[in-house]
Amino acid sequence: MRRFLVLLKKELGELINLQTLLPFAVVVLMFMGLGQTLSSVNAEADASVVVAVADRDGGVLAGVVTAALEQAGLEPVAVTSTIDDSTAADILDEAGADIAVEIPEGFSAALAAGEQQHVESWARVRNFSIVGNQDIAALGTALEVVNSTVAAAIGAEAAPDVPPVMLQRPVITSEHVMVGDNTAEASASAVMGFVSQQTMFIPIVLFLVIVFAAQMIATAVATEKENKTLETLLSYPVSRTSIVTSKMVAAGLVALLAAGAYMFGMSEYMNGIESSFSGGPGSEAALQASDAVMRQLGLTFSTSDYLMLGLTLFASILTALAIAIILGAFAENVKSVGTLIMPLMVLLLIPYFLTMFLDLSVLPDAARYAVLAIPFTYPFITGPNLFLGNYGIVWWGIGYQLVWFAIFVTMAARVFSSDRILTMKLSWGRKKK
Amino acid sequence: MTPAGQPVLQVLALTKRYGDLEAVAGIDFEVAAGEIFALIGPNGAGKTTTLRMVATILKPTSGEILANGCDAVADPDRMRQQISYLPEEAGAYKNLKAIDYLRFVADIFFEDRERAARAVAVGREVSGLGDRLDDKLGSYSKGMTRKLLLARTVMTEPALAILDEPTSGLDVINAIELRERIKQMARDGMSVLLSSHNMLEIEYLSDRVAMIAAGRIHATGTPAELKERYSAENLEQVFAQVARDGKEVVR
Repeated sequence: MRRFLVLLKKELGELINLQTLLPFAVVVLMFMGLGQTLSSVNAEADASVVVAVADRDGGVLAGVVTAALEQAGLEPVAVTSTIDDSTAADILDEAGADIAVEIPEGFSAALAAGEQQHVESWARVRNFSIVGNQDIAALGTALEVVNSTVAAAIGAEAAPDVPPVMLQRPVITSEHVMVGDNTAEASASAVMGFVSQQTMFIPIVLFLVIVFAAQMIATAVATEKENKTLETLLSYPVSRTSIVTSKMVAAGLVALLAAGAYMFGMSEYMNGIESSFSGGPGSEAALQASDAVMRQLGLTFSTSDYLMLGLTLFASILTALAIAIILGAFAENVKSVGTLIMPLMVLLLIPYFLTMFLDLSVLPDAARYAVLAIPFTYPFITGPNLFLGNYGIVWWGIGYQLVWFAIFVTMAARVFSSDRILTMKLSWGRKKK
Repeated sequence: MTPAGQPVLQVLALTKRYGDLEAVAGIDFEVAAGEIFALIGPNGAGKTTTLRMVATILKPTSGEILANGCDAVADPDRMRQQISYLPEEAGAYKNLKAIDYLRFVADIFFEDRERAARAVAVGREVSGLGDRLDDKLGSYSKGMTRKLLLARTVMTEPALAILDEPTSGLDVINAIELRERIKQMARDGMSVLLSSHNMLEIEYLSDRVAMIAAGRIHATGTPAELKERYSAENLEQVFAQVARDGKEVVR
C-alpha cells in the first residue's frame, strides 16, 4: 500500500502543476466573469430602454399609446421629425435609442371612427447575442401592451358597461404540463426553456471532464516514454497493476477536481444568465415560483439523483481512463497524444451531439442500438432519464460502463506487463514483410 | 545472502524472438557474487535485449533467468527486489528535485522508512552532487543526470546491478570517478552485469567478458584470456574479430 501511495504521490505531482492548472483556472474564471458581466449588463439595460416616439397625431389615443409604452417599461423620448427608412438611423442616434415608434396623423380620429390603424416601428440590430437584443424583445412586448391598452380605451368609449379587462383579455388560459406522473400548472414552453437552460451545461461539463481525464493519462504514459523513465519504472519492485492504477487514480482525482471547478464556474455563469433573463432582483418571486413548479414536476435533481449522475460520470471517467492509458501506450512522445486519443473523442462526440439535438428514441432501431452500445452515451442521457424517472436505464448504463471498464483495464494491465508497453507503436502501412 | 559458490545470476539457454528476427539466440552465462561481468559486441548483437530480459522488462521467448534462486519469468516481482537497472538511455522526472527523486526510488524499493533513508544517504554520497541535489532535475546537464541515475541504481545495494553503458555521455574525469565507484561496490559484494562500447572501460572494470554477436556468445573469459585466444593486443582487436565472425554467422 505504501508503494502505491508513493507512486500516486509522484503521479499527482506530475499532473498538478502550473501548466495543467492554469487552463482550467482560466476557464472557471471566464465563466464566472461572463456570468457577472451578463447580469450587470442587463441591470444597466433594464434601467433605460429608450424608445424614440414620433407622435404625428397628438390625439387622446396617441397619448394612450405613449403611456402604454411607458407602462411596458420603456422610456419614451419624443421626436419631432418624420421617421422613414432613410431618416431612422439619424433619429435613433439623436434620441440615443435603438428602437423607434411612429404614430401616424389622424390616428385617434380614425380609430374612433372604427378604422384599423398602423403604428410603424424601427429596431436597430447591433449584434446577434441574446443579451444584446433585449431592446428589441422589449419593443415586441410593449407593442402587445399598446394594442390591448388602446383596445380598452376604445371599448371604454363604446361600451362603458363592459369592464376594460374583458376587452383586453376576455379568455384566461390555464396551461397544465405533465412530465411522467407529475402534473403542474405552468406553460409547457416555459418549462422546456427552463429545463434546457438548467441542463445544457451538464453535457458540456461531462464532455470536458472525460476528455480532460483521458488526455491527462495518455500524456502521463507518453511523458514516461519521451523522458525515458518508463524503462526504469518497469524494473522497480512494484506490481504493474500498481503502476497502471496509480496513474488512473491520479488522473481520475484531478479530473473530478476539474469537474467540480467547471461545475462551479458554469453554475455561476448560469446564475448570471438566469438573473439577466428574469430581469434582476424584482422577479425573485417569479424565480421561486418557477422553482416550485419544477419541483412539483420532478424536474429538479434530488440527492440520490445527483448520486446516480455522479456514479454514471465516474464510470465514464474510469472507462475513458482505461481506454486512454492503452492509447497512450502507443505514443512515442507527448506530441502524438492528441492524435492517439482521437478515437476516444469520436466515441464521445457522437452521443454528445446526438443527445444535444434529438431524442434517441426517434432514431431507427439499428442506429439507436449502435449509439447505446457506446459506453459514453450513458452520461449524456442520464439527466433526462432521471427527470423522467427511468431509473432502470440509468443503473443499466452504470453497469454497462463498468463492464467495459473491466475489459479495458484488464487489457491495460496486460499491455503493461508484456513487452508491448516498450515495443508498441503506430506504424500504419509501414509493416515489415 | 548468497550461498558460497552459488552464482548470483544464472542465464540458461536464453532466447528472444521478434517475429522472424532472433535477437538473442540461446545464450548461457553466470555472474558470481562481487563479480563484474561484461557483455560486449557490435550494435544489434543482442546486448540490450539480454539486459532488458534480466531486468524483467522484456519476457524471454525461452530459457531461464535466475537471480539468487528467483525466477525472472515466473516471479518477476521478487526478481526485481534483487536487481537494479540503469538503461542506456534513461531520464528522470524533470519536475522533481534530485533528492526527491532519490527519495521516491528508495520509497519504492523499501517499505521500511529507515532502510529507505539509508539508501538515500548512499545515493547522496555516490552521486557526489552535493548541494545541487536540491535543484530540480529539469536544470540538470546530461552528465549530472547520468551520475544521479547511477547513484540511484546502486544506492539500493542490489545483489545485481545491471548497467547499460554506465558512463555514456560523461567526461573523462567523471567517468573515471564512476568506474572507481562501481569497482568499490563490487569489492563490497555487489555483482554487476555490464554492457559498454568503451573497451578501455571494459578492460579496466570487468572480471570476465562475454563477446556477443548476432545473438550468440562467441567467447567468454577474463580480458587477458580473450586477448590471448584471439592473439590480440587489446580488447578492441578482439571485438573487431568477433564482430566479423558475427557477420559470417548471419550470412
